Amino acid sequence: MKKLGLFILSFILCLGPFSIAMAQKSPTICAVHPFTGRFAFAGIEGSAAMQDVVDMANEGGGVNGKKIQYYWADGEYKDDVGIAAFKRLYAQYNPQIMFGQSTGMTKALGPEIKSRYKVLYSAYTMTSEAANPKENPYLFIAAPTYTEQFGVLLKYIAKEKPGANIAFFYSDTEFGREPIVAGREICKKMGLNLVAEEVSQVGGVDITTQVLDMKGKKVDYCIFQGFVSNPIAAVIKQSKDYGLNAKFMGTFWSTELQLLRELGPLADEYTGVTAYSFYFQEDVPMVKKIREWTQKKYPKVEYRSQSYMENYMTTLLFVECFKRADKMAGGITGDNLTKALQSIKNFDVGGLMPPVSIKSNSIPVGRVYRGNSKTVRFDPISDWIRME
Amino acid sequence: MRCGDYKENYIKDEEIFQSRFVKFWLALFFIFLIVFPFIANAYMLYIANMIGFAVIGAIGLNLLTGFTGQISLGHAAFIGVGAYTSAILITKYGVSFWLSIPLAGLVSALAGLVIGIPSLRVKGLYLCIATLAAQFIFGFVFVHWESMTKGITGIHIPPPRIGSLQFVTEKDFYWITIVFVVLGVGYARNLVRSKMGRAFVAIRDRDLAAEIMGINLFRYKLTAFAISSFYAGVSGALWVSFLKVVIPEHFPFMLCIQYLAMVIVGGLGSVIGSIFGAVFMTLVPELLNVLSDMVKSYAPGMGKLIIPFKQVVFGFLIVSFLIFEPRGLAEIWNRIKKFFTLWPFSY
Amino acid sequence: MDISILIQVIVAGLATGGIYGLIALGFVLIYKATSVLNLAMGEFMTLGAFICFTALTMIHVPFWIAFAITIVFAIVLGIVIEPLILRPMIGEPIISVIMVTIGLGAILRGLMYMIWDPTYRAFPQIFSPKPLKLGFAVVPSGLLWGFIFAVITTIVFILIFKFSRTGVAMRATANDQQAALSMGVSVKRVFALSWSFGAIAAVIGGIVIGNISGINIYMGDIGLAVLSVIILGGLDSIEGAILGGFIVGILQNLAGLYIDPLVGGGAKDVAPFFIVLIILMIRPYGLFGKVIIERV
Repeated sequence: MKKLGLFILSFILCLGPFSIAMAQKSPTICAVHPFTGRFAFAGIEGSAAMQDVVDMANEGGGVNGKKIQYYWADGEYKDDVGIAAFKRLYAQYNPQIMFGQSTGMTKALGPEIKSRYKVLYSAYTMTSEAANPKENPYLFIAAPTYTEQFGVLLKYIAKEKPGANIAFFYSDTEFGREPIVAGREICKKMGLNLVAEEVSQVGGVDITTQVLDMKGKKVDYCIFQGFVSNPIAAVIKQSKDYGLNAKFMGTFWSTELQLLRELGPLADEYTGVTAYSFYFQEDVPMVKKIREWTQKKYPKVEYRSQSYMENYMTTLLFVECFKRADKMAGGITGDNLTKALQSIKNFDVGGLMPPVSIKSNSIPVGRVYRGNSKTVRFDPISDWIRME
Repeated sequence: MRCGDYKENYIKDEEIFQSRFVKFWLALFFIFLIVFPFIANAYMLYIANMIGFAVIGAIGLNLLTGFTGQISLGHAAFIGVGAYTSAILITKYGVSFWLSIPLAGLVSALAGLVIGIPSLRVKGLYLCIATLAAQFIFGFVFVHWESMTKGITGIHIPPPRIGSLQFVTEKDFYWITIVFVVLGVGYARNLVRSKMGRAFVAIRDRDLAAEIMGINLFRYKLTAFAISSFYAGVSGALWVSFLKVVIPEHFPFMLCIQYLAMVIVGGLGSVIGSIFGAVFMTLVPELLNVLSDMVKSYAPGMGKLIIPFKQVVFGFLIVSFLIFEPRGLAEIWNRIKKFFTLWPFSY
Repeated sequence: MDISILIQVIVAGLATGGIYGLIALGFVLIYKATSVLNLAMGEFMTLGAFICFTALTMIHVPFWIAFAITIVFAIVLGIVIEPLILRPMIGEPIISVIMVTIGLGAILRGLMYMIWDPTYRAFPQIFSPKPLKLGFAVVPSGLLWGFIFAVITTIVFILIFKFSRTGVAMRATANDQQAALSMGVSVKRVFALSWSFGAIAAVIGGIVIGNISGINIYMGDIGLAVLSVIILGGLDSIEGAILGGFIVGILQNLAGLYIDPLVGGGAKDVAPFFIVLIILMIRPYGLFGKVIIERV
């Protein structure tokens, strides 16, 4: 009885803010972060990054004097929760820019963003579907797509060892399978032999058959996609036991310190491609700025991961688009924001990335780093590689 | 307050709406349902639609688990089968949305029949695990049968149409959902007071005795699976036409758990329990989200503590519900009604 | 097919199967006495891994002490959870009880998030990383130690159940609660103890898996694949748990070896569920489970 009454009361209380559709004149960003769920490690960092950039921008005068409003919600890395959060935030705050939590959500909302919402949109994803300006000019990513990342790695391999034997090791998910088809094409173009494709569940405990298969096919380079930490570490460790002498590489989400810690002394075996400078590269001006800000505001935080950098970069671009769109006729609207996005050429971001030019709604630039087991850091082993 | 409440024949006893009082309030409720889309914003309509789909799915599961006593952990797979069938029919074979819905239900029902076969050999927990196995096997098929399901890329579905009228927004789709929900609820409510419904309940309570009485276990158990999967298929087909996209990751094991929670918290073996459960399981997480948003705006740094607390609260609600009111929301509803029926003479 | 690869694959499957068997043991121990399928087992596992991790990294105790701390924690967990959550549910339909365990899992996951971060962490090196080199096969260190732990734990529990008073009491309760009660067995204590035992098996499994793949709060998702093991072995048989684990581990690897190339991967993970369906058709109560015969 009491329970029902409480329920009805709180329901009515919450109807209040819903029914007021506030038309915001100030530039507003709304984001759905995967704050809980399997991607939580990225969501926590990402939401901190967005908050930091917005705070920094507002301290520096905002968008031509107007303060940027920023609201976010947790999407639990579940599509329906994320989509509900998206619609809730949109109905409440009427933002001009939105940020999503996953590839799935992006795919689901893409057509509606184009036809109905018309907001500039990016997400925790590097799927090629979000970097297709002809199909959907509102979606973009501030990073190379997974396919472009594969391209960077394969280009690097082709230079190191032409005609090498390649294996793709990916997870049985959207995240894992996305770049594989295009990756096969790139292999052919670069004259590399794709000899094996291995699949595993994200938490796979036993990857013996996959490792043995790669050994039998004499794989030289194995590229991981769709995993963050396990079973990459298990594969690398067990390949030593089974006598597989391959070099292991990975894409953006696995090229993080947490993987190096997991690998321990085998960290030197892992090479990865990432799009941004690392937090420990203190000589990079933008990294220095981030470090100062972090140490001032969050003295307990010791490290900011690449997920932080990705959101940081995206939000930098958001702010820049706001500024440019504000000067256009009609002010800050979704369409003006897309035009502003396309106008970003050679935008200086203080070394976080090389000067940014948006190409086909992504930034096809990457850098290859190798793990260092002694310093537990990544050392750059290539310069910034551009994919054309 | 009702008094002089006596029935003179069986037909009157079996009536679903037994008094003018109930009929009056039901009419009011329908009027509310019709007025609702004109006063609500897009987000609330989205939630309303999701509740509608959940109701249909929950009724299906309740028919199987609550009325017939067959525990099924595979409900999400049947929703997926219906969803994919509808999507493939619409996009690949050009079937209209209206035809694809019942077809999707039928294909799901067939899947349900197949998965129901182990129920003839095993009961209880073992059946539970068999259906769980089916859930994962279907999940595998969704991802790997790429020629049909386009694997992880998924299928984009155009919005449903009647002639030139398109149902694009949440408000438009609301009407479709309402129609199907009313149909589904009506059919289920009638089913449970019919011969088949009584057979189901008999199987749940004492299946050996039921067999002795002449109820063909084989036929009725499979029928229960088929009908339950039909509902699931329709729910899935509606859901993905609403979302306009279907990907395999829409049907994880967690979805089964969610539907089970709806049915159990709502009340096993009761149609109105399914409705309550569906509403509860959809609204409460959203409410918790809104509350945590409000708390977040007062204490911005506490995000890391507040947001997971939502999960704790939710789990806690389910656990305490089950401990203190194991027969679910439907039972609470009945108690309220009984209280008012005899008020003020409730002693 | 190269015989040496086949042997290697079978050996690895055996080792992994041992780990599956360990987690299956947790399920079985709880089910045997209380007839409850505890779907929060994954969270118990994760909790165990985290407790051990915290003991090793924050208090810097040697492994055997951290292990002991974790075991004590598991015992306490079982003793606390059972009366709080499971006892009020006695007599309720089985599906409600399973739902309660799921709710419990959600609570534990939320609490773990609040106490520890959701970042992925590496388990400190507690065993030597050198693999075991048998003449015909190699066993990687993580799997080897998992296997050793699994076998030892199973043997310990088998001995407890066969010879100790507590074990006999638990078997009696599993057989017939009323009779056990009338013989003076405290059924309440047996229930709480069986949850503790299950928790112990789970936390050992958690430590072993954490050692192989690192820990994070969502690592408990592996718990579901283990259900096929307990079906194979029988829901209430301890020997069945470990033997079922071995069989599933080997079959899974064979599927990976022969079937993966045909379907483009992923067969390995779905194979256990096919096994479940087949077993249910032929021998529903598993290899070693108690057969319940109903005659009309």
